[in-house]
Amino acid sequence: MKFFSVSVFIVILMFSTTAQAQSYITETGRAAFTSSVPLHSFTGRSEHLNGLIDLEENLVDFYIDLQTLDTGNGKRDRDMYSTLEVEEHPFAEFTGSLTSSYDPESAEEQNVTVTGDFSIHGVTQSIEVDGTLQKTGAGLQLNASWILNMADYNIEPPGILFYRVDEEIEVRIEAELEQQDDETNET
Amino acid sequence: MKRNSIIYLIAGIVLCFPAVCHAQLERERVVTSTPVEDTFWATKNVGMSTTINPSGNDLHSSVLHTFGLVDGGIDRFFGLDDGANTRLGLIYGITDRVSIGLGRMTFRKVVDISTKINLLRQSTDDSVPISIAMKGATGISTLSGLGLEFSDRLSYFTSVMIAKKFNGFSVQLSPMYSHFNRTLGQAQKDLLGLGVLLNVELNEQFSLSGEYLPVFGDRNPGTEDAMAIALNINTGGHVFQIFFASSQWHNEQFIMANNRDRFWEGDFRFGFNIHRVFGLGGR
Repeated sequence: MKFFSVSVFIVILMFSTTAQAQSYITETGRAAFTSSVPLHSFTGRSEHLNGLIDLEENLVDFYIDLQTLDTGNGKRDRDMYSTLEVEEHPFAEFTGSLTSSYDPESAEEQNVTVTGDFSIHGVTQSIEVDGTLQKTGAGLQLNASWILNMADYNIEPPGILFYRVDEEIEVRIEAELEQQDDETNET
Repeated sequence: MKRNSIIYLIAGIVLCFPAVCHAQLERERVVTSTPVEDTFWATKNVGMSTTINPSGNDLHSSVLHTFGLVDGGIDRFFGLDDGANTRLGLIYGITDRVSIGLGRMTFRKVVDISTKINLLRQSTDDSVPISIAMKGATGISTLSGLGLEFSDRLSYFTSVMIAKKFNGFSVQLSPMYSHFNRTLGQAQKDLLGLGVLLNVELNEQFSLSGEYLPVFGDRNPGTEDAMAIALNINTGGHVFQIFFASSQWHNEQFIMANNRDRFWEGDFRFGFNIHRVFGLGGR
């Protein structure tokens, strides 16, 4: 019985390290959005994009603390946080999977598509995002962008006098995901 | 024997859990506490400074106007025919806590330079319960033809501002001191006062605010404690302050030294301030 339990223990550990082998993670990805009002546009940026790509499990998971977004104007930032109700809904997050093929052995930049649930302002919508993945020395380089319609997420576009911010904003993310420690060889 | 088996199984599951089950990332906030916002809606309430500073790299601009006494009636168009004391001001946020300012008002053609430092900022998690700021300013009268030495034209002002916001209601106490290098007659060179400011948010767009500035100790003959009440309107891009005030002066040392009107006896005037912040972050 003891031999059986120890065997299960070792097998589980081996399985766990195998699963880690193809997962990539970041806490310092970059996210940006560009929003427009008549005759003017502005960009908000953050360098606190957290992300996980697990090729083994086919899991793509990203989130960002919305209060790290900085538009270069403190008053505008505060208005944005208020509009997004960040105290109640602090994160924008995406969880989904790769729905296009990706060759993890290739060092070429590859076009990929992910499909999943994107949540912001307490509303979740299913979206499809096109981007690129490229294998690098340390892990994976990800670039992606999509158009977010504020109305889809019950976000009231902020107004400035008679003008309103355009409902559609372009969202861009860029991240260098590091391969998680590969313990397989040590097991 | 059985006990050991269970321990091995549990240990195995616990050790592998982060890897096998690393479904989603655990959501962790980067920003867990932020400064309480909009304790007052602008860097000045009516004539008195607040603990509010522009964010780093923001440029705050303001246009302040006060007219003649309302009791002039329709003949004087309730004071608007009596001319305005206008102050144009710029404040630049060096950081989120330190700013420098430049202003110029009509009366005595005073140009003022100032700095404000936020020593403490009340935080949303109440780890910092109050805001404390310090302000220092120098006024330079640029009136010509008076034969004054440069040093005679200078006045100084300093204040500590202590503020707290409770669920849409804000209060600020501002002990202050001013000094004039040169005065005439019985006028005091040194003045002490205690500014009291209140702000009540009605909703996201409107608030009511008030200020009262008693002078303590020796004061200039014939002067009165200044008072003002204001309606603040936040349009998203601008903050407008429409007010009735006893003093037609703008900077605190001049309000303490020169206000001769009693608000509570109907001696007040109409005025309005316009505040606008420009982000210089280049985005």
